[in-house]
Amino acid sequence: MTPIAVMVGSNRVIPASGIVHPVGNPDLDPEEEKRLRRIIVEKALEALWTELTEQKLFPRPTI
Amino acid sequence: MVSQGLRVVHYLNQFFGGIGGEEKASERPQVKDGLVGLGRAIQDVLKERGEVVATVICGDNYFAERTEEAVDEVLRMLTPYQPDIVIAGPAFNAGRYGVACGEVCKAVQDKLGIPAVTGMYEENPGVDLYKRDVYIVKTAESARGTAEVASRMVNIALKLVAKEEIGKPAEEGYFPRGIIRNERVDKNAAERAVSMVLAKIKGEPFAPELELPKFDRVKPPTAIKDLTSARIALVTDGGLVPKGNPDNMESHKSTRFATYDIRRLGSLSSKDFEANHIGYNTGFVDQDPNRLVPLDVMRDLEKEGVIGKLHDKVYATAGVGTGLDSSKKIGQGIAEQLKAGRVDGVILTST
Amino acid sequence: MRLELDILNIKDVQFADKTEVSEGVLHINRGELQELLQEDKRLSRVDIELAHPGESCRILQVADIIEPRAKTRGSGEDFPGALGKVGTAGEGSTCVLRGVAVVLSNQGEAQELAEAEDAIGYIIDMSGPGAECSLYAKTHNVVVLPYPVDGASHDDYKIALKIAGLKTAVYLAQAGKELKPDEVEVYDLPPLTEVSKGTEDLPKVGYIFQVYCTSFPARSGEPVLYGDNIRLLLPTIIHPNEVLDGAIVTPYECRGTETYVVQNHPVITELYRKHGKELCFVGVIITVSRITEPERERSVAMASSLAKSFLGADGVIITKASSGAPDIDAAQTAQRCEELGVKAVLIMFDGSSPADLASGMESSVVFNLPGANAIVNTGNHFWHILDLPAVERTIGKPVILPSGVSSDGKLRKGLNWIKGGLDQEGHSKIMSVRY
Repeated sequence: MTPIAVMVGSNRVIPASGIVHPVGNPDLDPEEEKRLRRIIVEKALEALWTELTEQKLFPRPTI
Repeated sequence: MVSQGLRVVHYLNQFFGGIGGEEKASERPQVKDGLVGLGRAIQDVLKERGEVVATVICGDNYFAERTEEAVDEVLRMLTPYQPDIVIAGPAFNAGRYGVACGEVCKAVQDKLGIPAVTGMYEENPGVDLYKRDVYIVKTAESARGTAEVASRMVNIALKLVAKEEIGKPAEEGYFPRGIIRNERVDKNAAERAVSMVLAKIKGEPFAPELELPKFDRVKPPTAIKDLTSARIALVTDGGLVPKGNPDNMESHKSTRFATYDIRRLGSLSSKDFEANHIGYNTGFVDQDPNRLVPLDVMRDLEKEGVIGKLHDKVYATAGVGTGLDSSKKIGQGIAEQLKAGRVDGVILTST
Repeated sequence: MRLELDILNIKDVQFADKTEVSEGVLHINRGELQELLQEDKRLSRVDIELAHPGESCRILQVADIIEPRAKTRGSGEDFPGALGKVGTAGEGSTCVLRGVAVVLSNQGEAQELAEAEDAIGYIIDMSGPGAECSLYAKTHNVVVLPYPVDGASHDDYKIALKIAGLKTAVYLAQAGKELKPDEVEVYDLPPLTEVSKGTEDLPKVGYIFQVYCTSFPARSGEPVLYGDNIRLLLPTIIHPNEVLDGAIVTPYECRGTETYVVQNHPVITELYRKHGKELCFVGVIITVSRITEPERERSVAMASSLAKSFLGADGVIITKASSGAPDIDAAQTAQRCEELGVKAVLIMFDGSSPADLASGMESSVVFNLPGANAIVNTGNHFWHILDLPAVERTIGKPVILPSGVSSDGKLRKGLNWIKGGLDQEGHSKIMSVRY
């Protein structure tokens, strides 16, 4: 739901892995899924570390 | 003096009351028989239906600096005139004046049970403060179009006194007062939609029945310079709850958030947690709650020293059908906790 | 395609020895209908009850509502793919028992929390303030209450529930097959290549019908479009008659769209009404709302392209299923259509709460795309709270809530929890107005 997050004014937005499992993906095997989760979280940390003057929708993190 | 029909008392500030400009803004309230200045516009609309029997004038600064006293004084002055209605302003874009008009009208209604109406420009702070309590007619930014404004104010005044229904905001020219009503209409929504698309195709005007939102912007907070010493917290609107939902958290239309102590947890287990949220299929999160709140990964990152500390609390609510007002309160509540906990950054996972 | 609806106006429904329609009354052999429905091995038994307009009666755990209809004169299968063999709906003739509704009541295990706010579920009140808001308080309701066999899964039961409703709808309407109809409605729309003949000057209007939303669990075997559960459906074109004649059965998570409404689709019937006079009805596009980004973008792109370059629409009306992600889907489709030169109008309910307005949030619309600015609203449902009186009789599983309130007692319910209250397709005649 990144369009809503951007519209209401969230400043740091990471498109993640879907509404029903934002930081997961049941189609992957457990190890891969945890790897994806880590990649998304690392992207989020990167966003917290990135200096911004206005909203930014970051690129979607992928494995 | 005998008056016919509606007895109107008019409230004006020092400028519109003809006393003076800014230098007279500290003038205490005074009352004059009959109309003053813009009261003429009101009387012209009223004609034989009523009379502006008195005008109360008060300095904007006097009012702003001792509002309660000023209100009492104003009410004391206008009561002997036995008004059927009090009209204040219009204040156009004058902020202190707008607040004074709103306050006077509200007090007249609440304390004397007398209807009141005023007028302001949309950016006047008095609008947001009083529009739900008092009918505020829309005006231009500066003092023009006064005949039109007076006409709308008198129209609403007459209806209030006669206890008649006031029409829609767009029709009667006032700011919407925050009331939602479901009304019966002749044509169903499908019929109205077809008419609307035909109008849109032909380039004719149409009246949308829902407005698009305007959202304010918050300046992005300064970035975290050093993640390795930062305290990061996890928050979610996906409805995370302990299994069985012992705190009876709402599954929609949420009004509160929950706080979970995760100090001893290396990850979220489906034995201990689940999702309580009617807006999405919670099955996948129920199977593995880390898919909603990435506690397992955050613990790893903490152990590895990538982040300084994972905050000991996780904050959760269910964000579906949750009004914007509740969402704001919940966000502010969580933010207060985060500040108290000296959290540097938040990862909010949203469904 | 030409479809003729042969309508019998039914003014009463009663149990009797023989299922038949005579003098405007539908008689039902209850035992025969129960036997028919109990053939389904997923069900242990099925109860049938009647509820009439004006009665002090409340129907509980309402899952879906279907109008009794049956194909006549060998002109096709009933609910093809869902009930009957796969085939095409929308041609020939169909008998309709107007004034009657088959109401499905979910008697499975405790309602999953996701489906309703409490165990009372969606309701229909046949009299009182709740009745004023629902079209299903004005129909003679044949309430079907199927019970699952031990060990039946939730999914199996829900599909069996739906099938029981469809079977009942067909069984009842077949009683009217041989009779002379009271009214005949004809829906005749030629293919795209001919539809604008003689109406070249009229604006071309299409309808984008979001039929399904993937935010909710897939139920394998759930029939939606010709019996397929369409979770992966990419936007496609369908003839409006197919929608009216049983090609589409609402998914279990219908949130404001009952099969009855699809059978009597208000947007389609209105476009038909004005076809050839004020507009040229160029067709229907059906879509599924997606919850992941590339899938949503793909669906939006394809649907708007179909509207522009295939239907040649000057304007479209867009409706949605459920809400949240579906609103974004619908709004982005409208935006994209407008960018392509196709004017778009959305039909949506008003989700604003009084608290929102008090805090200065004038709108609770979840998008602000300029192309999606033409919105018609179907009322404010979630925040319109009704005080419902106690009733003499309930149909369905009686419930006592933790608060002590009982299902036949005084209830406070949002309009959205009354079936027929929440409206997504525009059938209702209420509008939310700001004062």
